[in-house]
Amino acid sequence: MTDELLAIEGLGVDLPSGGWLPSRGRPAINILSGVTLDLKRGETLGLVGESGSGKTTLARAVLGLQPISAGTLRFDGAPLESGSDFRAIRRRTALMFQDAAASLSPRMSVGEAVVEPFVIHRAPAGDRRAKALDLLAEVGLPPEMAARYPHELSGGQARRVGVARALALKPALVIADEPTAGLDVSVQAEILNLMADLKDRHGLSYLIITHNLALIRHVADRIAVLYLGRLVETGPTAEIFARPRHPYTQSLIAAEPRPDPRLRRADLAIRGEVPGILRRPTGCEFHTRCPIARDICRSTAPALHTIGTGHFARCHFPETTKKGG
Amino acid sequence: MTEAILSVENLSLRYRVPGGAVHVLRDVRLAIRPGEVLGIAGESGCGKSTLAAAMIDLTGANAERTSGAIRLRGEDILHLSADDRRRLRGAEVAMVFQDPMTAFSPVLTIGAQLVDFQFNRTGASRRDKWQAACGMLARVGISDPDHAMRRFPHEFSGGMRQRAAIAAALLMRPAVLIADEPTTALDVTMEAQIIHLLRELQADYGCAIVIVTHHLGVIAELCDRVAVMYAGQVVEEAPVDDLYHDPRHPYTQALLACDPARIEERSGRLPAIGGRLPDLRTPPPGCAFAPRCSKATARCLTDAPPRVVLGPDRSALCHEVAP
Repeated sequence: MTDELLAIEGLGVDLPSGGWLPSRGRPAINILSGVTLDLKRGETLGLVGESGSGKTTLARAVLGLQPISAGTLRFDGAPLESGSDFRAIRRRTALMFQDAAASLSPRMSVGEAVVEPFVIHRAPAGDRRAKALDLLAEVGLPPEMAARYPHELSGGQARRVGVARALALKPALVIADEPTAGLDVSVQAEILNLMADLKDRHGLSYLIITHNLALIRHVADRIAVLYLGRLVETGPTAEIFARPRHPYTQSLIAAEPRPDPRLRRADLAIRGEVPGILRRPTGCEFHTRCPIARDICRSTAPALHTIGTGHFARCHFPETTKKGG
Repeated sequence: MTEAILSVENLSLRYRVPGGAVHVLRDVRLAIRPGEVLGIAGESGCGKSTLAAAMIDLTGANAERTSGAIRLRGEDILHLSADDRRRLRGAEVAMVFQDPMTAFSPVLTIGAQLVDFQFNRTGASRRDKWQAACGMLARVGISDPDHAMRRFPHEFSGGMRQRAAIAAALLMRPAVLIADEPTTALDVTMEAQIIHLLRELQADYGCAIVIVTHHLGVIAELCDRVAVMYAGQVVEEAPVDDLYHDPRHPYTQALLACDPARIEERSGRLPAIGGRLPDLRTPPPGCAFAPRCSKATARCLTDAPPRVVLGPDRSALCHEVAP
């Protein structure tokens, strides 16, 4: 048994462009390309990037919810190719959705919702009611919550129900899409601490998708940064924050407003917007916004350079570290 | 001390709900001086958005003022006629909302709407208004404003829409700009750019800005003074540096302590406040934060806390804070 749980190699996802008519002859839009990433047992990997960078598409592809056009996926040593492969891993993977309240059926009580995974996967649950109460206790919700309906829950409680559902089938991997989006800071910490406790207790691995850098710095062991569907930098969290090598990672970290008026920025860390996916820039995708772009960046796509152990950056000039400021 | 341009005086407001009322604002006092940037911070349900809406008299039909006043240059805007209030909005006090998608009508071009927003400018021709709108779009950083004027809102990205919404708000050169979570729907790189833009515009036009947000980073980047709200009350008011470096109210302290961006050491576990907001259908007699407060004593649960003045522009609503 290796310690690798999930391996993504050269993953590419294309979508047919525009319209609902059959897409024959129309060029495909490239959403993800050449994404190579692995997740070890017991590890927390943070996937960061702006809207439209392909974070959620990557998660969907891993779960087989999105057909892939290139690359291979391996879960626990077994390749994921056919629909039945994915069905098999879906019992061992769980997804926590971004909008926890909306991901719950309004017509199902909390107690029913947390044991629904057993019904979906036709898994033996024993006494469903007892199982539901166990799961609720595990995520710190009192038993009387079982009778409540989603509209009666606070944001934090809805998240906890989402966590309970994710845990129901004792998964090996939990993919959490913006697990604390829309929560207040005081509640956000409770959910993250709960996730950390459960990870320790059950040996879970997490793939956390977020654009919240302040948060991911505290929870992830490693970070992968996506820009326009390309992996631009991956490495150990502490190293990435201390010495980001890709100019995009540097800009992202520098752009985060810091809660200290004495650290106000006078200049702008990054200008412009992510280019539309239909007008993907030539060469390095980031060159249109990059402070250190040169001619080669406009013409040639950079390769992934090895910076250190497990630290890679897709940049022609990864040594040109501009101080993050 | 300069005279306030907009002041909220002992405002209490409740929303009628089935079976009672929710007391969302309780005796709120706040003054906005010309040209300053005031931040209103707080978590969901603290009343910050209601306060922002009240400042421009846009609270819902089920809102009911039980006491207090909102004065613009000394005049209570809630006592004005509907026509006068309408004239005031946009021209004197303008607002930027969280969701830039809903700020514009989807069926008219951005240009047509920016021209319409200048309906108060009776002397100006349509051509003048078009040009003013175009110039304002350029000012907020939209490249090729002539082209942008002919586009529909859905053709804009989120960041462009928020820029356009800011342009719309500033068109009539208001004395006060109220921005309710102006960067919450945006990515961090766009958030930084909008913050930068607001700062530049404030310097150019000198309007007072009120920023309502839960994001302590945004307030630190942008504001001169901060009011922290909890359960419908302003619990602490302070100049921005004091608030972040010497917070006095236990809630402010707790809020700052659990912001992951302020915790230098990487840790697997983060501090949380614990407990829940009080039910504002029946506000507690004592301090609303007392059940969650580590410093609370018996009187905190029973007696309403006093507003303790801590210095110029500084106060805290707390029994335990020393003046």
